[in-house]
Amino acid sequence: MHFISDYILVFIFFVLPVIFVIQPLFLNKINNLKNKIDLPSLKRKKRLLYRQIKELEMEFDIGNINQKDFKISRKELKIEVSEVITKLNSNKI
Amino acid sequence: MNPVAGGVALNLAFGFSILSIITLLIFIRNGDMRLFLTGQRLSLGISFFVFLSTFILWYQLIISNFDIDYVARYTSLETPFIYKISALWAGQSGSLLFWLFILSIFATITVLQNQSKHHGLMPWVIISLAIIQLFFLVLTNFVTNPFMPTDADFVVKNGNGLNPLLQNITMAIHPPTLYLGYVGFSVPFAFAISALMNRDTSPLWIQSIRRWTLVAWLFLSSGIILGGWWAYQELGWGGYWAWDPVENASFMPWLTATAFLHSIIIQEKKDMLRLWNMALIILTFALCIFGTFLTRSGVMSSVHSFTASSLGPIFLTFVFLILIVSFTLMFLRRSDLRSEKRIESFTSRESGFLFNNLVFVVMCFAVFWGTLFPVISEAVRGTKITVGPPFFNQINVPIGLILLALTGVGPLLAWRNTSKQSLIKNFTVPILSGLVAAVIFMAIGFKGSVVISFSLSVFVLATISTEFMRGIKARTKTFNESIVKALITMISKNRSRYGGYIVHVGIVFMFVGFTGHAFDKEKEFSLKIGQTDHVAGYEFTLLKLSETERSNHYAWISDIRVTDNKGEFVTNLYPEKRIYFHKNPDVNRRQPHSELDIYSTLNQDIYSIFSAIDNDNGIAFLKIMVNPLVRWVWIGGYILVIGTMIALWPRKD
Repeated sequence: MHFISDYILVFIFFVLPVIFVIQPLFLNKINNLKNKIDLPSLKRKKRLLYRQIKELEMEFDIGNINQKDFKISRKELKIEVSEVITKLNSNKI
Repeated sequence: MNPVAGGVALNLAFGFSILSIITLLIFIRNGDMRLFLTGQRLSLGISFFVFLSTFILWYQLIISNFDIDYVARYTSLETPFIYKISALWAGQSGSLLFWLFILSIFATITVLQNQSKHHGLMPWVIISLAIIQLFFLVLTNFVTNPFMPTDADFVVKNGNGLNPLLQNITMAIHPPTLYLGYVGFSVPFAFAISALMNRDTSPLWIQSIRRWTLVAWLFLSSGIILGGWWAYQELGWGGYWAWDPVENASFMPWLTATAFLHSIIIQEKKDMLRLWNMALIILTFALCIFGTFLTRSGVMSSVHSFTASSLGPIFLTFVFLILIVSFTLMFLRRSDLRSEKRIESFTSRESGFLFNNLVFVVMCFAVFWGTLFPVISEAVRGTKITVGPPFFNQINVPIGLILLALTGVGPLLAWRNTSKQSLIKNFTVPILSGLVAAVIFMAIGFKGSVVISFSLSVFVLATISTEFMRGIKARTKTFNESIVKALITMISKNRSRYGGYIVHVGIVFMFVGFTGHAFDKEKEFSLKIGQTDHVAGYEFTLLKLSETERSNHYAWISDIRVTDNKGEFVTNLYPEKRIYFHKNPDVNRRQPHSELDIYSTLNQDIYSIFSAIDNDNGIAFLKIMVNPLVRWVWIGGYILVIGTMIALWPRKD
């Protein structure tokens, strides 16, 4: 009985992890995701840029930034976000 | 569960880590995604086997399997359950396995979290984490294996038991918290190395590790504060920070990590300081490993030297390798790390942040120099010259005060440039508040750095209040909200900003607590039952001496009544004199220990130590300390944790 339980343990703790690890090697060739556009990262970048615009507006509202700098920074961020949106849209198509 | 399985699991984890690194390197070369998936799964496999071996060791500690040397060294049949659990990090091999365990948790989270993200970065992130895991697997497999059998030619019926100083509930929490901080910086470091390898030095990698850095910083800060709390509660010298080498070892990465947390804001918002940020995160991680080296090597004499060993050279080699490889990579990628933007004005938030960063790094260097001075002096002059708290205080108190001042100045500066009118508008109220406070404190009779510290605290609190008020005013004006609603919405919509300000409030309170140290008073005396003595306006009367036997020690308990100078009752204190391992027939192995009792208020702590007992004559030898404002250190710590949690709290987009 003890002998059998040892085999079960070896199966669970050694054989199963090894099967789990080598399983992808038996798949058909997968495309390299590295060369694809990283959609989640782009979406994340878009969210972060929107957040930066909101923070900038708040900085302006509480008087931490003057009007000239506010306008320049807002314009820069908007250009950046529109570039990201263009990339996202082109990838959807 | 057979303990042999623990050792085998560690062997397998070692093998998997090498395979993971090789597989991912081949993937980077040929781009076959099947290899990437295998490498990713091998990384999960390393963690699985590390978890398995850790749980097996925990199980052996709980069932008191003294056939294992580690279990016999750090537990006994009398060790309470909670300390059998904490014995995992009481000794060297166990604590290294614990390091690996936490790293494996973080590596698993990183791999699972980024399965469909950061395809460019992830291979090198996994390789970097696997190399760190490999280092600890080499140690736990071949240098100091926690599953080694007991080296005795007889059956071990009972173990040595845990060091009494470690039999404290804070000590069960403090090391894991500190380790979570130390190990947590592995992930940002891995992302930094990956960004360097991929030539991706845009702010995006910074944004993906910001949360990790904050989590690691939160744990490191909490670990340091808990360590101070443990020292205060347990070591019996009345303080919480002694500039001990191991304390310094945790403080140095905290300083560089704090600098990094501030400067990544500039990279996020302005895409500046790329090189500086890279250097800071590399230094922080190297200092974390260096901290583990200081704790484990025994190269320094420290109150933390529970497990001095010969691991020093191996750790030091690893630290040097990290620094050489990382800085060589930085040098090779220097053109990518160059930022196109420059700081435009001295009175800008960018320059405020940069100055704050420089001060943090200078402070880190001062602590580093003081900590290593005994080793350096011994190497150069052959004599070990120890640098004590006076050196550290002399250097770090002024630097700390500059940092405190900058905490107040930073938020009031605008990005790019602050106009003269804005400077006057923003700084008038806080500066006036600080000056008024300084005059009041001097009138009370305070002097020197005490006045500076208290008035700077007032100045910083005034700046933070001003920031909150301006934010609330802007919201009430724009959205017509009530003050409370405006405050809540403002914080929830700008969590990192206002969470950061709340952390600053915590830091101010901690400075108030530190400053109270200037007013400490203490006295040592002996009392017979019914006798009285006086300290700092309080009267201490010994009412009773009793004794009791508990599961893991024998204790003499003193009952001291404390009254104030008007004769009014304040409290009763019950400090204890304990003997651990009291049942051990070898008298030399019994360990005496003083268990303190503290009466704590916002104003001051009354700290009592039962130093010794003369049983024949019924005399208790006591030490009483009156420590003002200590509680503010812990309150500041709580606020710091709350502020960081606010900054960390995920938001809906």
